[in-house]
Amino acid sequence: MTRDGMTPERFETLAEAFGGNVDRWPTAERTEASRLIAADPAWTGRVLARADELDAMLASAALPVASGALVDRIVAGAPRARPRWPAWLAPAGLGAGLAAACAAGVMLGMQLAAPQGGGEALMTAADDEFSLYLDEGAG
Amino acid sequence: MGDSDDELLSRVAAGDPAAARALVARKLPRLLSLAGRMLSDPSEAEDVAQEAFVRIWKQAPKWRPGAARFDTWLHRVALNLCYDRLRRRREVATANPPEQADEGPGPDRGLQALDAGRRVAEALGRLPDRQREAIVLCHYQELGNIEAADVMGVSVEALESLLGRGRRSLRAALMDLKEDA
Repeated sequence: MTRDGMTPERFETLAEAFGGNVDRWPTAERTEASRLIAADPAWTGRVLARADELDAMLASAALPVASGALVDRIVAGAPRARPRWPAWLAPAGLGAGLAAACAAGVMLGMQLAAPQGGGEALMTAADDEFSLYLDEGAG
Repeated sequence: MGDSDDELLSRVAAGDPAAARALVARKLPRLLSLAGRMLSDPSEAEDVAQEAFVRIWKQAPKWRPGAARFDTWLHRVALNLCYDRLRRRREVATANPPEQADEGPGPDRGLQALDAGRRVAEALGRLPDRQREAIVLCHYQELGNIEAADVMGVSVEALESLLGRGRRSLRAALMDLKEDA
């Protein structure tokens, strides 16, 4: 480009590099290119048409298409939201809930049984039951 | 208007599957186009696209919005993966040279029967890697000259030169094929 505007050589170089669509040329040179087109539409038209011909050939190359299976494989690898309980702790969490419910039952049983003096026996039975739930829950 | 790339990445990092699917829908066609044209092999292009997404998923939690343009980063990642494969191909070709050298297109090689798209893909595949990369980025991926030069790590003048040489070679190759037809 010169101070007086874009030279024909520069115009040809840009068409050769970026193709026949001036909108895809470097932004800084589009205005000068448009001036040259207005000044010499016949010659610039021939240069652009020659570049367009190659653009059209390039456009004929088929575009690869994404298969649904590929999309599914890729999405399957995406990060996942963390559960509130880590997966390996989930059964233990269930067990802990059941254990808490059992413990509440035991406490209630103790309170009801204590006045009759059989608290100790009840406590032993309840302890076994408590352990049983824990084992099942944790397994 | 949909989420920006940065917004989608942030949602992906939080484990939002809808965001992951939206990002794949948005970027996968461009990745396949880039890798398919760089490697001239649809199966390898799929592998590159999948590997590029593995890197996206790893990068998502660390992505800083506004620090870089996601598309520029993604093009660099995909091109590096393509170059790894092109390098491996050359190593294999050097270790096991073909018995007969490729003589290029000729009137008796049946190329006339190929459709225009395939002829273009073949001509593109025969270009030197950097010329092909410049044409793929500017023509097919429609990156501006500054961004394409940035992705390639060259000046805009060097990019222009690569584009000009690549397109002249393509024109010559495709004109020959046209004359053969």
